[in-house]
Amino acid sequence: MKSNIATAANQRRFKGRQPASTTRRKKTATTRRSANALTRTGFDMGYMITVIVLVVTGLIMVFSASYPSAYYQYGNGFYFIQKQAQWAILGVFAMFFTANFDYHRYAKLAPLLLVGSMVLLLAVPFIGVEVKGARRWLGVGSFTIQPSEITKIALILFFAYGLSRSKDKIKKFSELLKYWAILGVTFGLLLLQPHFSACIIIGLTGVIMLLVGGARIRHFAYAAVPVIAGGVALVIMEPYRLQRLTAFLDPFQDKLGSGWQIIQSLYAIGSGGLFGLGFGNSRQKFMYVSEPQNDFIFAIICEELGLIGALVVLALFLILIWRGIKIAIAAPDTFGSLIVVGITALVGVQVVLNIAVVTSSIPTTGIPLPFFSAGGSALVFLMAAMGIVLNVSRYKKASP
Amino acid sequence: MEMPKRKMRIRALMIFLCFAVIIALLATRLVYLQVINGAELQKDAIEQQTRDSQVASKRGTIYDRNRKALAQSATVETITANPNEIQNAAKNNDNVSADKKVDIEAIAKNLSDILQLDYNETLEKLNQKTSHVYIKRKVEADVANQIRELNMTGIYLEEDAKRYYPYGSFASHIIGFTGFDNQGLGGIEMVYDSSLKGVPGRVVSLKNALDTDMPFQHEQHIDPENGTNVVLTIDEVIQHFAEKYLEQAAIENKVEKGGACIVMDIPTGEILAMATYPGFDLNEPFVLVDPEDQAAVDAITDPDEKLNKTNEVLQKQWRNKAVVDAYEPGSVFKAITASMALEEDVVKLDDAFFCSGSKQVGGRTIRCAKAGGHGALTFAGGVTNSCNPVFMEVGARVGYDNFKKYFKAFGFGEVTGFDLPGEAKGTFYADDAFNEVELATASFGQGPTVTPLQLVAAVGAVANDGKLMKPHLVKELVNDDGQTISTIEPTVVRQVISEQTSDTMCTLLESVVNEGSGQNAYVKGYRMAGKTGTSEKIPRGNGKYVSSFLGFAPANDPKVLCLVILDEATAGSYYGGQIAAPVVRNIMEDTLRYLEIEPQYTAEEAALLDVYVPSVKGLGLAEAKQKITDESLKYQIVGSGETVKDQMPKMGANLPANSTVILYTEDSQETTVTVPSVINMSVSSATRELADSRLNISLAGVGSSGKNTSRTYASKQEPAAGATVPIGTVVTVEFAYQSED
Repeated sequence: MKSNIATAANQRRFKGRQPASTTRRKKTATTRRSANALTRTGFDMGYMITVIVLVVTGLIMVFSASYPSAYYQYGNGFYFIQKQAQWAILGVFAMFFTANFDYHRYAKLAPLLLVGSMVLLLAVPFIGVEVKGARRWLGVGSFTIQPSEITKIALILFFAYGLSRSKDKIKKFSELLKYWAILGVTFGLLLLQPHFSACIIIGLTGVIMLLVGGARIRHFAYAAVPVIAGGVALVIMEPYRLQRLTAFLDPFQDKLGSGWQIIQSLYAIGSGGLFGLGFGNSRQKFMYVSEPQNDFIFAIICEELGLIGALVVLALFLILIWRGIKIAIAAPDTFGSLIVVGITALVGVQVVLNIAVVTSSIPTTGIPLPFFSAGGSALVFLMAAMGIVLNVSRYKKASP
Repeated sequence: MEMPKRKMRIRALMIFLCFAVIIALLATRLVYLQVINGAELQKDAIEQQTRDSQVASKRGTIYDRNRKALAQSATVETITANPNEIQNAAKNNDNVSADKKVDIEAIAKNLSDILQLDYNETLEKLNQKTSHVYIKRKVEADVANQIRELNMTGIYLEEDAKRYYPYGSFASHIIGFTGFDNQGLGGIEMVYDSSLKGVPGRVVSLKNALDTDMPFQHEQHIDPENGTNVVLTIDEVIQHFAEKYLEQAAIENKVEKGGACIVMDIPTGEILAMATYPGFDLNEPFVLVDPEDQAAVDAITDPDEKLNKTNEVLQKQWRNKAVVDAYEPGSVFKAITASMALEEDVVKLDDAFFCSGSKQVGGRTIRCAKAGGHGALTFAGGVTNSCNPVFMEVGARVGYDNFKKYFKAFGFGEVTGFDLPGEAKGTFYADDAFNEVELATASFGQGPTVTPLQLVAAVGAVANDGKLMKPHLVKELVNDDGQTISTIEPTVVRQVISEQTSDTMCTLLESVVNEGSGQNAYVKGYRMAGKTGTSEKIPRGNGKYVSSFLGFAPANDPKVLCLVILDEATAGSYYGGQIAAPVVRNIMEDTLRYLEIEPQYTAEEAALLDVYVPSVKGLGLAEAKQKITDESLKYQIVGSGETVKDQMPKMGANLPANSTVILYTEDSQETTVTVPSVINMSVSSATRELADSRLNISLAGVGSSGKNTSRTYASKQEPAAGATVPIGTVVTVEFAYQSED
């Protein structure tokens, strides 16, 4: 699979360097019309390799982490990895498609995508599949998708579109309020499911995009008041959130109750030591760590691969973020730049929050680790987003 | 669209920096969790991930000195369950095939049927929220195998050990017993527990959070180390003699508070036997032996009080009187006082004393055991006749300081460091309470208390050339191959008196048995030495006595020492010389023969030695007569035949020399006679009386010494008076000396 992608990429790069190609010339011509004098070059190789390494490592770790729970729950140790591999293949196609889909076209699609994803979000509480007390999925049988994943990308595209169009208007508070209003509506829809963690991810991603897009920092101070008030309100509405908060402060206080999840995660991390127990040798994945193939997969990585392995994974994500920011800076236009900033922020926020949760650095909330958590459709949307970044990386402003 | 502005680029870089900083912080957090705090977290993780089950080690065997097993362990099995595993498996029934489904009730039914347990209780156990419960402990192999064959989910068999005591109540107070976890609870089992128990092995297996074994991990086995075997100094045969005769005497004399007996090897301090009456079955140590105790417990209805009472009587039952109970030794202690006096040279054997029956000391009148007094006598006579006034005088000559010094030197007032739990120290007067009266009474063994073990060790020193040996019960520790791991060597505690004093004391104490108060301890062919003791229990005047006798032999080369104590005899006589001395005699006689110590007969004894009755059946009369006279026997012919048709006693019987063999020369002409009573007759009267009834006499007890002692009367006869027996039958008559101490 890996080699296929590499070959495809090579071919594409090869094609990209062949101005003689007729199809390419046609496409370039259309592009040139909408954005003054852009040249298409190859993909950012560093970015692509990092993505591929993350996807492959993720699959391997899902296999190791999920085997016992799959074995005990379904009598088939390969249950989760089979599904995840299928999603990864789908993801490769999605990435291949978006990498070759001119991102400028999203400008027109963005409002439509946003509205569409909102509709889906609205539908979820009514026709969604309920899992553990929350309706977050749409679909039939084992093929389900989380509309919130679509929302994340749609919102990034829409914000990038809006911010790149409005130029300096965003410096006005009234303009900023519009974006906040969009975020507020999205939160409202997400909380119907309820899906608190998606709010956090989308909120932080949005804030980063608005900041990079030129919004004034002091305007955000105004927002602190309602956010804090809202947080308090959420805790009062759903007391289990407060329980999670106290569990974070002293997980060993209620070892078998609210602290159980996080203690098991810490045991796994601690057991890994410097070099780990070796691949496949996690003991905590045997039903001690809850969802070892999902939100807490990083704990299993720490246990099996040790501090060294965990730091390598962190380094891969840091490289991904660095390359992303680099692509954003080098992007030929604000629109592309903001798309890449948004997607990079989306990945970065999830990575940071997930690892912070797993290491008991912040209260527990259900945030998956990009590329690693066996979330199914989320991987497809993530890889599609990666493709968009790759697509942006291909365009340079033609030298005058 | 336009190029991103510079400000936007800077902000993008700032965002990257924020992520980089946060990721660096998280990396630091990981370093803390994995490296700095990692070991601790890992320890806790392993604790929850592993199931650590013990494998019982085989408890060491307790042997007697000839390696006869007195306490042994056998392998049994303990059935345990993992209720969590069973419950989790049952919850998962929907996901597995029919043959893998788990039915908790069926498991409970199987267990309760095979192990004969209550079904509801068993089911309750299986429904507990735990990962380990005992279903039944110490199950024999055949029953355990039935469980094993069913191969039930979450039911486990663990190897366990059960302690067996093949001789039941034998040496119960020495061996001790073990509890449910095979821990020593008394006696050697307790004192040597750490050696005997060995090191239990472990099986460490990994388990998942559902409490079942992990499928891909191997178990780690640490083999148990078997316990060390303990070889006692006890000789099973001698212990048996001691227990047998002690029990006989205890029953005969109706003792209220039991009895104790110690047999010691004098040169080494090794305890050959140590018995406390009554014993208890080591296999059932919690069953009350004394029916009165059981009745007392049954009478209580309040459960707490009942438990207290049960504990109290059990403690009494398990009490090793020989080691734990300090008592006033009475006149036996005179052997110690005499040793002090001779060693300090404050008295000579022929120093003259006068006993008027009492002596005034410190304004009080202290009486002699003999009413009317012994009259004029030497120091030697004072020892032989156990005269109190003589010893009061001797004690005064020894003085307070020397008395105390020797008391301590002989090992009194201190534990001996014996191998059994609960050893008492005994008591002595505080300095300001040790005055004239106390010195006088202490000299004849009243006042200070000592344990039987201390007394045995101290008199052992008197007999052992003055060397006090440390009494001990364990000879060596051996491994399973019989190889010695460590040997307990005899230990000389100190030289208490000189060899010369020791020799003198041996002669003096021999005369106690030969001509004094200890004559009932006489053993034919052996030079017995000893000392009687009778002490009135406190409070005095209630007629409760401790009767004792301490004897050793041979007096010229002391080898074995035996002390017998009877606590509160109620069947008549309570004098140690009358009721304890015969017990010592019986034990010593059997023990000395068993130890193959060569008997040396005096001329008088030799004359009375039993002879072997030859067979003359079928012989001609002349030949028969010749054969019988050849054996120093007499004959008497019944009938007028020419050949001997039958004889009485039969061939093989042992008869005292000069007894008469009846020869029948015709068929069916046996003559019978009624056995007369000879009880309370002297030796000569009894011999004459039985001869008149054409019966033979076999002398037992002090009567067999051949000396015509005064105050010696027949105390027992067998067959009893009134029985009809053929003429020529041997009547065994035991003679006892009417000792007054």
